[in-house]
Amino acid sequence: MREYRFERPGTVTEAVRRSGSDTAYLAGGTTLVDLMKLEVMTPGRVLDINRLPLRGLDATGGGLRIGALERMTDVAADPRVRLGYPMLSQALELSASGQLRNMASIGGNLLQRTRCGYFRDVSMPCNKRQPGSGCPAIRGENRMHAVLGTSDSCVATHPSDLAVALAALDARVQLQGRDGVRTVNLCDFYLLPADTPHLEHDLRPGELVTGVIVPRLDWAQRSIYLKIRDRQSYEFALSSAAVAIRREGDTIVEARVAVGGMGTRPWRLPAVERALAGRPATSNTYAAAATATVDGTRPLRHNAFKPELMQRTLIRALLELEQTR
Amino acid sequence: MTVSPIGREIDRVDGPLKVTGSAPYAADYRPEGLVYAYLVQATVGRGTVRGMDVSRAEAAPGVIAVFTPFHPLPLKSPSGESGENYSALQDTAVRFRGQIIGLVVADTFERARDAAALVSADYTVTPSRTSLADAGPGVPQGLVQKLAPGVSSIDAALASSPVTITTSVSQHAHHHIAMEPHATTAVWVDDQLTVYCGAQSPQRAAATIAARLGVEPAKVRLICRYTGGGFGQRSPVWNEALLCAAAARALRRPVKLVLSREQVFTAIGHRAAVRQTIRLGAEADGRLRALSHDSDGELPAAGGWQMMPGRDTSAVAYRTPNIRIDQRLVTLDTPPTWSMRAPAEAPGMFALETAMDELAVRTGVDPVELRLRNYATEDPVEGHPFSSKYLDECYRVGAERFGWSRRTALPRSQTDGDWLIGMGMASALYPAWRQPASARARFRDDGRVAVASATSDVGTGAFTMLAVVGADELGLPVSSIAAEVGDSALPPGGVGAYGSSVTTSTVPAVQAACRAAVKALVQSAVDNPRSPFAGLAPATVRYRQGRIEANGRSVDFRTLLRTMGVPHVEAVSTSAPDKSASQYKFHCFGAHFCEVRVHRLTGEPRVNRFTSVFDVGRVVNAKAARGQLTGAIIWGIGHALLEADPIEPDGRFAAASMADYLVPVHADTPEIDVHWLDRPDPHISEFGARGLGEIGLVSSAAAIGNAVFNATGIRVHDLPITIDKLL
Amino acid sequence: MRLNVTVNGEPRQAEDVWPGESLLYVLRERLGLPGSKNACEQGECGSCTVYLDGTPVCACLVAAGQAEGREVRTVEGLAEGEALDRVQQSFVDAGAVQCGFCTPGLVVAAHDLLARVPEPTDPEIREALAGNLCRCTGYEKILDAVRLAARR
Repeated sequence: MREYRFERPGTVTEAVRRSGSDTAYLAGGTTLVDLMKLEVMTPGRVLDINRLPLRGLDATGGGLRIGALERMTDVAADPRVRLGYPMLSQALELSASGQLRNMASIGGNLLQRTRCGYFRDVSMPCNKRQPGSGCPAIRGENRMHAVLGTSDSCVATHPSDLAVALAALDARVQLQGRDGVRTVNLCDFYLLPADTPHLEHDLRPGELVTGVIVPRLDWAQRSIYLKIRDRQSYEFALSSAAVAIRREGDTIVEARVAVGGMGTRPWRLPAVERALAGRPATSNTYAAAATATVDGTRPLRHNAFKPELMQRTLIRALLELEQTR
Repeated sequence: MTVSPIGREIDRVDGPLKVTGSAPYAADYRPEGLVYAYLVQATVGRGTVRGMDVSRAEAAPGVIAVFTPFHPLPLKSPSGESGENYSALQDTAVRFRGQIIGLVVADTFERARDAAALVSADYTVTPSRTSLADAGPGVPQGLVQKLAPGVSSIDAALASSPVTITTSVSQHAHHHIAMEPHATTAVWVDDQLTVYCGAQSPQRAAATIAARLGVEPAKVRLICRYTGGGFGQRSPVWNEALLCAAAARALRRPVKLVLSREQVFTAIGHRAAVRQTIRLGAEADGRLRALSHDSDGELPAAGGWQMMPGRDTSAVAYRTPNIRIDQRLVTLDTPPTWSMRAPAEAPGMFALETAMDELAVRTGVDPVELRLRNYATEDPVEGHPFSSKYLDECYRVGAERFGWSRRTALPRSQTDGDWLIGMGMASALYPAWRQPASARARFRDDGRVAVASATSDVGTGAFTMLAVVGADELGLPVSSIAAEVGDSALPPGGVGAYGSSVTTSTVPAVQAACRAAVKALVQSAVDNPRSPFAGLAPATVRYRQGRIEANGRSVDFRTLLRTMGVPHVEAVSTSAPDKSASQYKFHCFGAHFCEVRVHRLTGEPRVNRFTSVFDVGRVVNAKAARGQLTGAIIWGIGHALLEADPIEPDGRFAAASMADYLVPVHADTPEIDVHWLDRPDPHISEFGARGLGEIGLVSSAAAIGNAVFNATGIRVHDLPITIDKLL
Repeated sequence: MRLNVTVNGEPRQAEDVWPGESLLYVLRERLGLPGSKNACEQGECGSCTVYLDGTPVCACLVAAGQAEGREVRTVEGLAEGEALDRVQQSFVDAGAVQCGFCTPGLVVAAHDLLARVPEPTDPEIREALAGNLCRCTGYEKILDAVRLAARR
């Protein structure tokens, strides 16, 4: 690990002020410490923000406000999340191991870096790590890589489960920077790689994620996060789906659908939502709606199965959601 | 009266130390003045290191030394050993991506790691040969052939068979993933080296280290009392441990080298990638007329273990008049290969038992019945009878315990909600191997008997095996035995912990040593003038359950030793197989039955339950045996469903981390019903144990694959069987 | 820097700690507590599991600086005197230990599970221990050990 200065700013304002191009914020550490050991990240200064007042889960006025330093374990277990937004709770519980969920923060989860093996291997080129150096994944071992939102520069899959559920819920990210606070839609917060895959987030210099807002959605009580992976547990998604449905009788009135393991960022599927709305809640509807997922997919040599798997994941999520009353 | 502990559920004697974190492993030692080393590895697949820039590393804080091919640590070349065929840093050749090209030593681990990242190398690159498929047929290494009179070739025998099956299977490189990454702590005191380093064969490892460092064998002691898994990868000594010892010598201070998990994938050998084709010729009722097994195994130019997947599997498994095993090796520029638990038998039997399942489907014969119709009572090639074989009973007992009769042969005919349910079976075999072995038994004046053998307990239960056998032989409680392994300074002749041979080989040696120690104790009792038995004829003195008795007097050995003023009385014995053993074929056998589920939409294959029944001779410790067999069956889940490390054209392993190379986790664990027939092998030794560390893995993957076919109608030939292949 | 941390109930100080060292490194190499094991260094295997302020974490991913002023409890601190903790004893009794390298982390993780969920179901046990890899046992006896400890 490259030697760095360890600092513990006392306030958010101070943290933001001290932050610079050579700094990294340290929350749970599960991404940063890991990547510093690999020297994928080599900040000169590390700002430990764990003692800043960015905790708390607030449900007043409908919706949720989750402090950026809340731990994944605590948020997943909170009854307001568990009952009101099951897909959030499930997405968190299906992420990583218990130990990592105890450590990892919500803000850090949203900012976690891709698991692309080339990104993590400093002996390999990677446009995300070293702009302009090339992308070996496009012709390499890319079974786990993305089929949506990819570019000729980068095909790395976004790793977060939580972000997929939050995308379906129209969540917003609260940021504090040198110029004050602002809020951005989570879907806009994630940038497509295009030809600048090293730019992953709509974050201005020094800006710190301070919280996440989940707008009130009463019918999210009926939601699911389904994660498909090779191993039964403790693995990144080969495919996942976050689905919420509002039904009146046997008719779907509204739907929220996002998928994971597919995109270079969490991927909302409005076309599928439209294809579900106003239709009877039957497997035929699900199958027809799922075909809308494949628009714009760009499969690679080893992940050509992913569009098909995405459809099937979605159908299964809809069917399983039907069974949860 | 002491009840014999043999075959009972005995707690591990090393358990309490391990659950409290007090058992020291190689990286747990902290000698005074310790410094830390870190490897630098080549980042190209093949070529030459033209130059290296170490200036930034040398200037980095805390750095003590940087060794490279241009500033090497002296090591002798390997001679006549298998494994790596070169010594690191002795030349500038790059044989594979990940080869060690530097060693950085610093005052802390993190500083050594960072400085290693600051070393840059300049290469001349030549194209790598890495693809087993593209490299074409390899060089034949082990042809086994037997044809019936009048049959001209295996092809002719196959062509004349009413039913033929051709099955080609492939698998990528596998990694052992012993939980303890390779670690060495090397300490020189004057010219005497002590190496703390996990090793499956401490004496062989110490001898290798001495030879490669160019010192007298007596100057090297290797200690590996606690080792975090072996599975084959700790049977040789790899370049990393040699460099650590050499660095400690050069710097005159203790050096610790702990590999990162990623480094273990390349610096330490892996199971060779292999492609195999089985061709079966059979009668319409499934009886075999011909069996052909071709294989192309990866053999790295840098050296490695030869993948011969047919020799101990297809050449032994079934009765057939015509058989041909053609094992070829393909030279590639890949990291070294090494034996990995059931090294050739696991891939070999996956191929054969997949083909047998296809034959069962084709002929409509039940898979168990098909195997019974082809049951071999003697070695099909050489004609030797098996020393002891109850595989038919394994099939019967296994089928009954599993409920095989409830299986339907038609694929996709059983479901549980949205899951397709399938059942499959396969038979297992693994060669039994008894080596000459030695052991020491020592009556001590603290009232315990130390039973020692210079083997290694890599998790297998060797400590407890010594304690159980010693206790049984001496009529003492297990707690009265102090077991010792994992130290090259123990008496010569300890066997390596490989080939499922430690128990088979060491039990007779322990028995002999205990008997000899009793004799020595009695002799001492009659010879020693302070002994109450002084002057008696040895024949009138007897040993019983820790006591020496004669003339109505009975003294426990602790009191006797203290009375005599003798701290201990000991004997060392060696035991080797009888000459008569050569007329038999020694194998262990087993039958796996497995139920899987596969989701009808998303295709996840999951194992519901396993029933496995084994014929492994006599079992020493039921608790340890169950652990070994169960653990190995779970390896079959990895083999069938998860484990693969594809190699890229430039020689880079694509899945060289624990996040990318998947091994089973708790949640993958099905219900496992492990059972063994308690039938001592009458020919392998007086005791009759045949070894069981590896057979659980053999064919468990095939049983899963066969069950997946039964569930889905899809036969996956290229492992692992993953979601994408089942959609 | 000097790191102040309470380990197994005792205030400890480690001198000359570089903040980038992991808590695992500090425990093993500076405080003489090698019970927690280093097996993957990226949070994939759970062998280094320790309690940090009462919560199990992977010590390999905790930067030393993060541990300043906090309480750590390691596998060495579970037993009361000579007697093994019930989880430790159950691991021995159930045959859940083989090579033993994953054992310290598993013991801590199982200890935490039973503190939170006194009577866990099998799926709860499997999921709670999913982050602790074991390559020897096949996990079955580890499940038995946790069930056994829950009954004690």
